[in-house]
Order: sequence, then C-alpha cells, then structure tokens
Amino acid sequence: MSQDSFIETTMRAFTRAFSKALISERGANQPGLLQFLDPRVRVVGVLFLVVSVILCRKISVVAAVMALAVVIAVASRLSLWLLATRVWFVVLGFAGFIALPALFVTPGSPIFTVPGTHLAVSAQGLRTSALLILRVETAATLTTILVLCTSWTHILKALRSLHLPVEIVTMLAMTHRYVFLLIETASQMFESRQSRMVGQLAGPDRRRLMARTAGVLLSKSVELSHEVYLAMLSRGFDGEVHILSVLRLRVRDYLGMAAFLSVSCLAVWIGR
Amino acid sequence: MHIPDGYLSPSTCATLYALAASGWYSALGRVRRMLASRTIPLISVFAAFSFVVMMFNIPLPGGTTGHAIGVTVAAIVLGPSGSILAVSIALGIQALFFGDGGITTLGANCFNMAIIGSVVADAVYRLTAGHSEVHSRRRVWAAAIAGYASINAAALLTAFEFGIQPTLFHDASGTPLYAPYPLHIAIPAMMIGHLTFAGLAEAVISAGLVSYLQRSDIGLLHGVRATTGVPALESASSPLRLWWVIGILMLCTPLGVLATGTAWGEWSAADFANPEKRAKIEASSGQHAAPSSVPARLQKLSAIWTAPFPGYAPRFVKSTTFGYALSAMFGVGLLIMAGLVLSRFTKKARASESPS
Amino acid sequence: MIETPTPAFEVSSVSFDYEGIPAIRGLSLQIGKGERVALVGANGSGKSTLLRILDGLYFPAVGSVKFQGESLTADRLRRNGYALTFRRQVALVFQNPDVQLFNPTVFDEVAYGPLQLRWAREEVIRRVEETLSTMGIAQLKDRPPYRLSGGEKKRVALASVLVLDPEVLLLDEPTAALDPKSQSQIVDLIQQWKGTSKSVVTATHQLEIVEDIADRVLVLEAGAVIAAGTPSEILSDEGLLLRANLVHAHRHSHGGVVHSHPHRHGHSHDEHSH
Repeated sequence: MSQDSFIETTMRAFTRAFSKALISERGANQPGLLQFLDPRVRVVGVLFLVVSVILCRKISVVAAVMALAVVIAVASRLSLWLLATRVWFVVLGFAGFIALPALFVTPGSPIFTVPGTHLAVSAQGLRTSALLILRVETAATLTTILVLCTSWTHILKALRSLHLPVEIVTMLAMTHRYVFLLIETASQMFESRQSRMVGQLAGPDRRRLMARTAGVLLSKSVELSHEVYLAMLSRGFDGEVHILSVLRLRVRDYLGMAAFLSVSCLAVWIGR
Repeated sequence: MHIPDGYLSPSTCATLYALAASGWYSALGRVRRMLASRTIPLISVFAAFSFVVMMFNIPLPGGTTGHAIGVTVAAIVLGPSGSILAVSIALGIQALFFGDGGITTLGANCFNMAIIGSVVADAVYRLTAGHSEVHSRRRVWAAAIAGYASINAAALLTAFEFGIQPTLFHDASGTPLYAPYPLHIAIPAMMIGHLTFAGLAEAVISAGLVSYLQRSDIGLLHGVRATTGVPALESASSPLRLWWVIGILMLCTPLGVLATGTAWGEWSAADFANPEKRAKIEASSGQHAAPSSVPARLQKLSAIWTAPFPGYAPRFVKSTTFGYALSAMFGVGLLIMAGLVLSRFTKKARASESPS
Repeated sequence: MIETPTPAFEVSSVSFDYEGIPAIRGLSLQIGKGERVALVGANGSGKSTLLRILDGLYFPAVGSVKFQGESLTADRLRRNGYALTFRRQVALVFQNPDVQLFNPTVFDEVAYGPLQLRWAREEVIRRVEETLSTMGIAQLKDRPPYRLSGGEKKRVALASVLVLDPEVLLLDEPTAALDPKSQSQIVDLIQQWKGTSKSVVTATHQLEIVEDIADRVLVLEAGAVIAAGTPSEILSDEGLLLRANLVHAHRHSHGGVVHSHPHRHGHSHDEHSH
C-alpha cells in the first residue's frame, strides 16, 4: 500500500460525493423526458419498473426493460457515457465477479467444458449469471436515471407526498445538508495532515489518525446538532415540522404514470 | 454488505421491509416520546457522521484496509433506537441521493445493518463493558468487540438472506432466479471477508472513537447526557432489545438445517426399528447397544400426541429450509404469546392485591 | 411629561452558568426601543451567551429578563402560543451561518421561519420572494447551502430572519470571517435601521465597525458589563479597551519608528506622533 493511499482513497470518495451532487443538479435542470414529469410520478414510476424487473423471470423481458431504460436516459438528456462509467462498468465489475463462479457451480446440464480442466459450465449456471447481472444492471440504471434527473428537494417532496412521516423527511433533508459540511471538515483535516507528512506513517499511527479525525468529526457533529437545535428554536420550531410543497399534477403526469404502470404490468405478465 | 437490487427475490425484499418497518416504527415511537424536538438535529447529524465514516478507508493490522459502518458508536452514544434511525437514514441517503444500494433492498440493508447491527452492538457493548468506569480501558475493548460482533451479525444475516435464495426461488429447470449460491457457499464466502476486513475495520474505528471520547468528550459516552443536557435516549433495560434478540434467534434457527443428523435423544419410535438409525444411535451413545425394538412405554407415549408439524415442516410446505424457518417463527410466536398472557395475568393479580 | 416607551429588553442582575462554568454574572442592562447597541468584548466575555438569553434560548437561574415589559421565562414560551409571537418579534443571527442553514435550498431556508410560525402558504411564498430580492440574493434561491460563499451564507442567514420583519435583531459577530466587501454590505444594512423602530443588538469584537452600527456601546468582560457609553467615549478609552482585552500592545513601526503601545488594527488605525 503506497504512502497514505488510505487517505487518498477516502478523499476520492469525498470528491465523488460532491461531483455527484453537481451532476444531479445539472441533470435536474435539463429539458428532458423525465424532467417533464412530476417528481412523484418519476419516483413511483421508476419504483414500479424496478419492482417489475425483480419480479419477472425471463431474461428477454429484463433486457427489454433495460433497453427502455436506455431510451428514457437518452430522452432525458443524460450522457450514456456517464451511465456507463457510473453504473454499467461498476456493476459488471462487482456482479460479474460474484456471478462468475455460478457458471460452474450451479448444478445442471453441462453445455461447455473449459478445455484442459474439468470445469463445466452448466446451462442453468449460464442463465442464472446472465439473469443476475442483467437484473442488477437494469435496476441500477433505472435508479441512477431517477436520481440524476431529480433534484434532492424534489425527491424529498415526492417521498413526503407518499406519506413518509414528516420527521423522517426532515431528518433526511438535514442529514443530506450536513453530509457535505462534514465531508468538507474531514477533507480539511486530511489535507492539512497530508501537507505536513514527512515520510510514511506506521500502521498504528495510521489507525490513530483515522480514529482521531473521526473523533473530531464526532465532537463537532454533536456540538453542531446542539447549535442547530437552538437555531431551529429561534425560528419558531416547536416539535412539529412544516414544509412547503408546491407540487401539482398535470395531464402529462397522469399519462406518464399510466405509461409506467402499463409497462411494468406488461413486463411482469410476459415475464412470469 | 450493502445489497443491490436483483439479489433478493420480491418476497424476501417484502418480508425484510416489513421487519425493518416494525423496527423503524418502534424506534421512531421511542424517540418521539423522548424530547423529540432535540433529537431531530441530533439523529440527523449522527446519520451524516455515519455516512461520512462509511467513506473512510480504514487501515487495518496487516496492511490492508476496510470499511466500517459506524453503527457501534451510534449505538453507544444514541442508544439502539437512535442508532437504528441514524444508520437507516444514512443508508436511505446512500440509496436515494447517491443511487448506491438498491431501493427494493433498502429494507433488507436497514434491517441487517441499522437494526440488527444496532441491537447487537448495544447488547454486546453493555455486556462486555459491564459496570466498568466510563474512562476505563475495558470500555475501549468492549467497543471493539461490540463492533466486531455487530458487523459479523449483520454479515451473517446478509449471507443467510443470499443463501436461501437459490433454494426458495428457482425456475423449473433449477436455475436460481436471484442470488445463485446456496447457504453452504454464501455463508463462508461472506463471512470470510467480514470476519477479517469489515469486522476489524468497525472494531478499529469503534475502539478508536471511544478512546478519543474518553480523552476529550466523556459526556458523550454517558449517552449524550452531560454535554447537551439531553437525557440518554435509551434507559438501561430495554424490552425492545429482548424482542430483537428473539427475532435474531428466530431467523438463525434455519441454520439448524445445516446440521445433518438427528439430535441426541430426539429419536422417534420408528427410529428404533430401523437398523441404520439404530447404528447411529449406538455410535452417538458411547457404543451402548440400543434396544432392537421400540420400548413399549415409548410406543404408548408417542401415540398420545401427534405434533401438528411433524418433522418441523407443515405438510404443505415443500422446502425444508422454509418449513424450518416457519416452524421456528411459529414456535417462538407461541412462546411470546404465552409470555404475554402470563405477564398480563400476573399484572392483574398484582394490581388487585395493592389498592394503589 | 413625555412617556418613555417600554424598553425592548430589561435585564436585571442575571447570572447564568453554561455546563457548570459561570458565563454571565450579575449582569443588568436595558435596550430601548429603536436603539442600536453594540456589545463589545473579547471572545469568552459572554456576548453570545447574553444574546441567547435575550432570544429566550437560555434561561438564567438568577435574575429576570423582561421583553416589552413582560417577563421572559421558559414556562411562558411554552404556553398559549406566546412563542409564536415572540419568535417573530425577536430574531437572532448566529455567528456560524452553517448552523443556521439547515434546509436543502436557499428558498426553503428563508421560508422556514414563516412556515414554522404557521403563515399561509401564499403569504410565505410572497414574503420570501420579496425578502430575497431586497437582500439581492434572488438568483440564489434554488442553490443548496454547500454551494454558497461565506458572504452569501451570511446574507441568506440574515434574509431568513428578516423575512419575519422582527422588531428586535440580535446579531452575533455578523462580520466575522467575511471579506471586506461582504463586511461593508452587512454594515450598510445595519446602518439602514438607524432611526427606525427596530432595536439592534450587535455583539462584536471588531471595534472598527462599532461607530457605524451603534449609538451605545456596552463593554463586557468575564460575564459582566464593565462600562457603557457612546462609541466615541468607549473607543477613546484605551485603558478600558486594554483591560477588556480588545486591544493589545505589541511592537510595530510607523513613521519610521519602532515602538510598542496599545493600539488596535482596522481601517481607523490612525497614525500618531511621538
């Protein structure tokens, strides 16, 4: 492990988080297909599609839904390359890695034997691997499209109108807000560490660095929560939460919802 | 161990969502009853903290790195109910904002990591820390052990959820429809990674945090009481914990399917007549010769009661594993009901005794 | 006889401990309606704590606090919707804007106060848009807080309390950690309220802005008021400022001479002769 690469890996995760936030802000403002629809329709519609992908049993139907997802992505002005790097390659790496042994391990009728070994790929193994990878890819594509086209506020408002308890929605909102603040604080702590680094840290020192950074973060978090509570009280918070929801359904939203529903039901029916 | 969409069948997802929902509901109820206004910002910030900790690449003894969840420290500082909510919210943000981790499997992930993780972390920490001083070394070790235990409990549960998929959900030709590996592959495969890396990472970060708090902010270790003037979110004894321990035990019972053979002493009358079975009985009984025919009394007794679920599976359930799980839940359910009825009676008896 | 209006705040012999440490000791003061007061003191002198007591967030164990002639207690705030009135009339801007920006977008943040005070939806939207354009931040309304600069955050925090049109503004170090341009914007805003019925209490350790933002200055040290007077009176009393740890003496040079004497830094650093 190269010098301080654990810090670098962590910092990279931080950068990804911020870039994700920027990308979805941009995506939400594009004049595309999904952006055209009410966020509630988007959330529920995508949820239906994902559930249908999980329910149907035929590879061909899952593939068809995947094709539909790609069409929606393009129509919503999303870059396919972005999807490829964020979803497709990543899922292939993980799910593909997990599914690989299944080719050989799943009991069933062998259709191909690796030359030079007695490892046989069974028909069932092939099908299960394909089905798994395709399902994971399609579901991940659908959720990523939703998240890249919808601003966080709208996701929250959609969840609220789906009757998620108001305290939970408030906590989601506040958590999201403070994730970025904490990432900034942690980044600053790591950066100052890196610039002062003269030579490699020994194992126990590395762990101590992580623990200390986490510790400072924790203390600041609790202090922050206390101050935030006072700030909320100061502006009239009394235990109940009130948020402004300005969403209204139009004809296109009903049509969109109908489309999502019918495709999902069709997929489940054909793929049963 | 964040499960993406596609690995679990719809019915598994639905069951785990239901279990998670009951955990959320009870945690939310508990938190609402205790100074709800202060806890909204506290839990939110803790959720944010947990989220950021999940990104940390933690160096481990041996030169490798791993990722932690932060559930152990959340459970120590906020108590299990607060921790359930905080970690669930962190997982929710991961799925809904970052698109990492599935939405059909959010219930499963929350159940495994946030709920069971919190309960195990809290129980093991309290057990191991005992009545030791808040600034003692023992607490640091307790945190490490609790962290290790909670991650591995969550991982075991995840592995179990993966492992039952091929048995329960396959098509006519035997192709698994979801996660393709049965229990005897899934469990070792998952546990190896967590017993070594993830478990250690959580242990390291939990111990490190408790040690840091002991030096700088000891109030937090009392359960957020002293610093902010907020009473600890959880009281010392919690019935919630008992329920969840029962729940875990219930879910672990089908692991018994892995054990082959019959438990000692649990032979049926028919076993004695079967020469093969009799040989096994002898082998496990220190080579004492077994009677060649069923002892007469045993025969009489066994005729009195025919269990509704002989062989631990209702007749209509074909799969052994599922039947096992079902009967375990039914059995525990009966026990719980019996317990409740008993406690109700004793309460009434006590109430009628004393006028107050 | 001209009747003097009820003072906004009357604080009598108040003592308050924070986590066991005495933060305010036997403090008394009065803030008049329409008055602009500056609380000056070094960090740790109790300025923030005092502001929070005035805002009904901390309640002193000893002494009394009266707002518009009526006593301000935890009990009173809990009952009969008094909180709805009080929270609209008195507003506190915290020193750290991140503490005050806990909503997903700027619009949501400014709308938070009115929503909590149960204003009607249309009224909320109208007032928020009005306030955003008055503060010159309308273009930021859909921005999330982590994409705001320090100066923008401060302006959003101010907007989020001004939307309620409060009668009393409590400002905790409003210019701290701001670039000069943002600082002067804030100072201009506070100057605007001179002569209105708004009372403004500003806690600051930046002496250079005091003359612009206040008609009366209270000097705090270790939780008690050690002096009161007009800005020019207080600022010219170097012995007092030294005692309160608001100025320092260190070696410096100007006019080609190196020497050391009490002085303060800032735009009103005046050349002096020897």
